[in-house]
Amino acid sequence: MSVASRLAWRLFRHEARRGELTIILFAIVLSVAAVLSLSLFSERLQEALTAKSAEFIAADRVLDSRNEKANPAWLEKAQSLGLQTASQNYTSSMAFAGENMQLVDVRAASEGFPLKGKIKIADEPFSPGEETATLPAANEAWVNSRLFQDLGITLGDSIEVGDARFTVTKALISVPDEGFSLFSTNPKVLIRKSAFADAGISGPGSRVTYSYFFTGDEAQLEEFYDWLRPQLNREVHRWQSVNDDDSAVGRSVNRAGQYFLLASLLAIVLACVSIGVAAQRYSQRHYDPVAIFKTLGASQAMVQKIYLLQISFISVAGILLGLVLGFGFQQAVVWALQNRIEVSLDIWHVRPVLIAIFTGAVCAVLFSLYPLLKLFSVPPLRVLRRDLGANMSARVIQYLAAASAIWLLMWAYSGNVKISAILFASGVLLVAVLMVVTMLLIRLGRKLGQGRMGAWQLAWARISRRAMDNSVQLISFAVTIMLLLVVLVMRNDMIKQWQDQLPQGTPNYFITNITDSQKQALENAFSAEQVTLDGFYPVVRGRFVAVNGEQVRSEVRKEKTGEEEQDGGRQQRSGLGREANLTWSDSLQTDNRIVEGQWLDTPLADGKFGVSVESGVAERLDIKLGDVLTFNIGSEVVDAEVSSLREVNWQTMQPNFFFVLEPVAMQQFMPTYISSFYLAAEDKPKLASLLRPFANVTLFDVDAQINQLRDIVDQVSAAVEFILVLVLAAGSLVLIAQVQASMDERQQELAILRTLGAKGSLIRASVLFEFLIIGAVAGLMAALANEVALGLLQRQVFDMQAQLHGEYWLLAPIVGAMIVGLLGAAGCWRLLRLNTAALLRQLI
Amino acid sequence: MIKTQQVIKKVTTSEGELQILQPISFDVKAGETIAIVGASGSGKSTLLGLLAGLDQVSGGEIYLDGEALHKMNEEQRAQLRGAKVGFIFQSFMLVQSLTALENVMLPAEIAGLDNPKQKALTILEQVGLAHRAHHYPNQLSGGEQQRVAIARAFISRPKILFADEPTGNLDAANSERVEKLLFELNREANTTLVLVTHDDELAGKCQRQLRMQAGELTEVTAVDDSSARKAV
Ligand SMILES: Nc1ncnc2c1ncn2[C@@H]1O[C@H](COP(=O)(O)OP(=O)(O)O)[C@@H](O)[C@H]1O
Ligand SMILES: [Mg+2]
Repeated sequence: MSVASRLAWRLFRHEARRGELTIILFAIVLSVAAVLSLSLFSERLQEALTAKSAEFIAADRVLDSRNEKANPAWLEKAQSLGLQTASQNYTSSMAFAGENMQLVDVRAASEGFPLKGKIKIADEPFSPGEETATLPAANEAWVNSRLFQDLGITLGDSIEVGDARFTVTKALISVPDEGFSLFSTNPKVLIRKSAFADAGISGPGSRVTYSYFFTGDEAQLEEFYDWLRPQLNREVHRWQSVNDDDSAVGRSVNRAGQYFLLASLLAIVLACVSIGVAAQRYSQRHYDPVAIFKTLGASQAMVQKIYLLQISFISVAGILLGLVLGFGFQQAVVWALQNRIEVSLDIWHVRPVLIAIFTGAVCAVLFSLYPLLKLFSVPPLRVLRRDLGANMSARVIQYLAAASAIWLLMWAYSGNVKISAILFASGVLLVAVLMVVTMLLIRLGRKLGQGRMGAWQLAWARISRRAMDNSVQLISFAVTIMLLLVVLVMRNDMIKQWQDQLPQGTPNYFITNITDSQKQALENAFSAEQVTLDGFYPVVRGRFVAVNGEQVRSEVRKEKTGEEEQDGGRQQRSGLGREANLTWSDSLQTDNRIVEGQWLDTPLADGKFGVSVESGVAERLDIKLGDVLTFNIGSEVVDAEVSSLREVNWQTMQPNFFFVLEPVAMQQFMPTYISSFYLAAEDKPKLASLLRPFANVTLFDVDAQINQLRDIVDQVSAAVEFILVLVLAAGSLVLIAQVQASMDERQQELAILRTLGAKGSLIRASVLFEFLIIGAVAGLMAALANEVALGLLQRQVFDMQAQLHGEYWLLAPIVGAMIVGLLGAAGCWRLLRLNTAALLRQLI
Repeated sequence: MIKTQQVIKKVTTSEGELQILQPISFDVKAGETIAIVGASGSGKSTLLGLLAGLDQVSGGEIYLDGEALHKMNEEQRAQLRGAKVGFIFQSFMLVQSLTALENVMLPAEIAGLDNPKQKALTILEQVGLAHRAHHYPNQLSGGEQQRVAIARAFISRPKILFADEPTGNLDAANSERVEKLLFELNREANTTLVLVTHDDELAGKCQRQLRMQAGELTEVTAVDDSSARKAV
């Protein structure tokens, strides 16, 4: 072992034992632990959530093919890649039982379906149902509870579909790929795929969707899709993956994912800041040893080697400890939250570990680089002239290095330029504003600091004397507080939104096809059972045929249409060539927002009827404000001018409409009505008797979807809370490190004041005031920067509406002053407890 | 052993250039003991720093054991210091996170000598601190720390020893003990000693005294050998 490595190791051992490395080691441990636990946890959670979302489409990927079967070679390829496959055919057909008939959705599933999720069946219609892993036998069918009513059958009866006859052996309660479509929902009939051809319902003229399901490794799936994509025909095929799930659940999961990413980024930044602060302090503490080594004849190279090795030892130790701690912490959280959160049981994930190691190493190297360079430049003459520090003082370089390191880490880690850029830009903005504010404050302080030397004057005088140091400190406090605010406020806003989305008593059943004459009777029947109907929406089906007199294509322009937006479903949809559901109303539905034009309560000047169009569909169909839309309703033609574009919150489980017309335009038509209600699980059996008198009314059960959604939102909220706690802990530690570091700098001054005979109480008070001032200013700046960062993040990344958070403008400075002040007072107290001689001795 | 010619030192301050040493010339013979005295701020430490190669002259020449110090860069000076120079400081300058033993070993290790530990233990024995070998500096009194520093200064058997106010931070009893040790070891090793002090009594124990005043060498006094010896 060379002299340098021996010395480095010796220093490391002693300093570790004597607790001198605690802060820098801690900073690295913290950063590694935070990043590892966050990313491991979120990886496991995401895995579980993805698995859950996969249940919504019954597989990891689905290929829908309309009216033609997929090439068998495709399935062979999938199987040869090791993917699991299954398939299902969908069509609409008439089902007969004796005199009765009903249009049904036939689903013919192959062995193995569903690849993800479970089918639920029961021996009794309208009961909760049990999961099953089997399919109906060849001549059997499982049918939705409603169909028992519609056809007047019971279990064991048989129904005819096409040319085939099936015995109904179970009530079909739910299938994983249920979808969510309020309109034209027919009861489902599940049969075996092998029975499909026999039924002869796939003949010419009938529309059949052939769906193919795939499950396997992400890599295999990607490979398969890369191979398959060039062969797909956009008019016929649609490829679905769990990730592009645009449903309420999908969006919530995505948003949570973004939040985890954000929080991890902030944890990294906090870690960087704390390592930077700690490295600075570490470097300052070693000015003397370096001067001594040099004096005793050590070459520059030897000094460099000693300290680079020393930092490596610290980094390795920090990273190892951090990994252990982070892993343990993450396990503890998983264990503590096991009743609320489901995570993947797969514990070992390479990516988070690599990220954590990478972060620790990069932080340690990049943030200790400048302090180390400074340390290397300490002249040996320091042994004689104690006030000689390092020769370098290019702070700008330090800032640039730090900033680019943070940017690099953020970018590398997130792969998301947007989030990184927003955070980074608001950080830079904050720093710039802070610089200006500090300068102003310092100038102000110089005035205030004049006159009799009270504690306040002393505090101000100190702040202004060390303007540069203080601005650095102020900035690091402010950045820390700002990051904490972003994580905290973001979490509050997000959870509030989720809760608003699904308040208690959210309707879990919809009924459609209610006739005008049934409205009253239905309401009476329901209120007799203490069930409240949430009002009736009139619906008239119409065909959207022209824009400004120009015929629209009746064939598909886009797969997703109209009210099917929330659908994962299987309906044959034919764009707006199919009938649209038109409604009318004087009042704007809650959760709808006018983005352009005027709501229908402002009549159009030219006497035309107004129509409000959903903004998404308007964009797709290129409909502009002032366009005249033509609808065929029955044999009538209705023209309406687009008077407003409306944003609809598709995440609420409510009937939403593309077209809302002015009521006068629709007076002549006989609508049916939609209503919704909430029914507790235990009241479910009431449904059958409640609905029996209203045979034509269609019941739609979204209880399962709502519960699934609520479940996921609950889980994600719990996870988000954990992350908040973690980031708060990281932030507090950074604050402590910062106060500690600044205490070292103050030590000398305190000692001098002390020797000059200043009273302990005066010194204490002045230090307390100094920290109070710094904390308050930092808090205020942080609140400001938080608003900017949050606004940008919510609008650009989280797809949320941003709002101001006035309360934090008050809260942040107060809490900032309190925390920073307290920490400062505590640090100062410790210093003052040492007597003056000890203080001076520490100094020289 | 030391030869200086017209040595000057200038520094740049916020108020412009400041000459803190006026041209200084003197010689020191091998084995001689020299005291540099003068009021605080008169430039003693500055001169010492130049002589010991800790700092660069602004003009003039310094030869240390025949080597032209003024022509060397920092790396070369470091090597020279490691090979030929020992140091003792007012504030001891021990590495706080190393034990007494490890502090003493330091110069020997840096210079690449054999058996640094054995040598260090022997010399710690000589300064009476063998039993404190594994203590850290902050566990030792000021006098003890300075004795460790003395041990460290002598371990590599330097040709020249520089001491800047070695007793400046010590009380009378400790000062005396440290002085005694210093001169004892110095005589034993026949080291050239350059000592900065404002303590006339201590200065009196050296063979010659150089008096500094406002950056100028104003007076050189030779003390006769017998009185110096008597005092020890
Ligand atoms: N780098 C420097 N910059 C400014 N002034 C200096 C510098 N080095 C020394 N001085 C000044 O030179 C004078 C001599 O200092 P010094 O040699 O430490 O005196 P002494 O050791 O005799 O007390 C002092 O006034 C000191 O302030
Ligand atoms: Mg001096």
